[in-house]
Amino acid sequence: MDLDTVKTEAGPRRFSPKDDMPEEYRKAATRMIQFHANSEVMGGYLEKPFIRQAPSLDRKLAFSAKVQDEIGHAQLLYRAAETLGVKTRDEMLDELAAGEGKFLNCFHYPMTDWVETPMIAFFVDGAAMRRQATLKSTSWQPYAHAMDKVCFEEGFHVKHGEDILRELMSGPKATRERVQEAFEEWWPRILQFFGPVNEQSTHHGFASEVGLKTMANDELRQAFLNAYIPKAEKYGLEIPDEPRLIYHEDEGRYEVVEEDLDWDEFWTVAKNDYEGSDEQIGSRRRRQEAVEWVRNAMDSWESASAGAAPQAAD
Amino acid sequence: MIWEVFRQEKAGGYHTHCGNVHAPDREMAELFAQIQHGRRMKTHSLWVVPQGEISEVDDERAHFGGTTDKAYRWAMTYNRVDGSFAREVAESEAEQREAARKRKEAQS
Repeated sequence: MDLDTVKTEAGPRRFSPKDDMPEEYRKAATRMIQFHANSEVMGGYLEKPFIRQAPSLDRKLAFSAKVQDEIGHAQLLYRAAETLGVKTRDEMLDELAAGEGKFLNCFHYPMTDWVETPMIAFFVDGAAMRRQATLKSTSWQPYAHAMDKVCFEEGFHVKHGEDILRELMSGPKATRERVQEAFEEWWPRILQFFGPVNEQSTHHGFASEVGLKTMANDELRQAFLNAYIPKAEKYGLEIPDEPRLIYHEDEGRYEVVEEDLDWDEFWTVAKNDYEGSDEQIGSRRRRQEAVEWVRNAMDSWESASAGAAPQAAD
Repeated sequence: MIWEVFRQEKAGGYHTHCGNVHAPDREMAELFAQIQHGRRMKTHSLWVVPQGEISEVDDERAHFGGTTDKAYRWAMTYNRVDGSFAREVAESEAEQREAARKRKEAQS
């Protein structure tokens, strides 16, 4: 299929491994799905310490379930990416461990305190879910199928995250102040979750022309803010004065003053060059190295039994 | 030889099992599958798979989802917060509620 045909025919779940897709499409889809898969892994790793640090058994169970879900989502997505025939799962995991794999900005920052957890578990997961819901209509069918399962599961994550926020914000004043501080620290990063305004996004044009992306960054951020700002306020969080947010009542939308956000930091993060990037990527790399023997054992088992099967069939 | 047949109604959808056919080879299996399973039902694509290539694990052998109470995994558990503020959260919760209902129904 040539690129013009792809652009003409692009639509929800339109293309599958049966179609002979041009290289540009396969590469763009791989980049997007690999980024998504990497982000699931790194999000899981960011929350993993809170299985141990959870303040109650309920929270411990929920956090372990969440982390397990996120790693499972990564597996689904690496499979969807592999179907494009550009990279194997092993290659993508090795790239991530080597610091070459890209992932969401928010997962480059350390999260050390329990009061920070709703920033990821409610706001960032909520933002991710908003985006993922639109990807059920992506043009690469295996990606859309992965989104069906991911979205089914994510509702628990977001509600659990909100429940932590609710609990903390109905606690003592000292706790509420610490949550507010964490919110102020994370808020600009959360606003940057959806990336820069569309003109600055390098890959947006092509991805939407071929139906991989169905909604622009700005629209997604808009929908997110409309739903999540009232929630933050409901629990008594104050939206910081900077970065400025201008509410246009007539249009029912928030305008984010882009110049108030630190885009130098954003692009440093995007290149894995931020000070936190090393630490986060390292936690994944060390784990990957620690379980290498498991992969080797499974690989040798697979090649031993695969060697026998075709001969028997011949 | 028996071939299991999976039908996909619409492009982009899932192939779901719809029956099986007798056929001596792959080509004949595709033909018989079309005749038996693709004629009256809306069909976009069919898969045929040799029956022997399918592995099964059922609820006689496995406790799907385990035997412990995993209420903490369901959105409905967190009922002190309201998921209806965001469409995608509400949809996920509705899907989970439906899945839980079916699981419960199967157990009773």
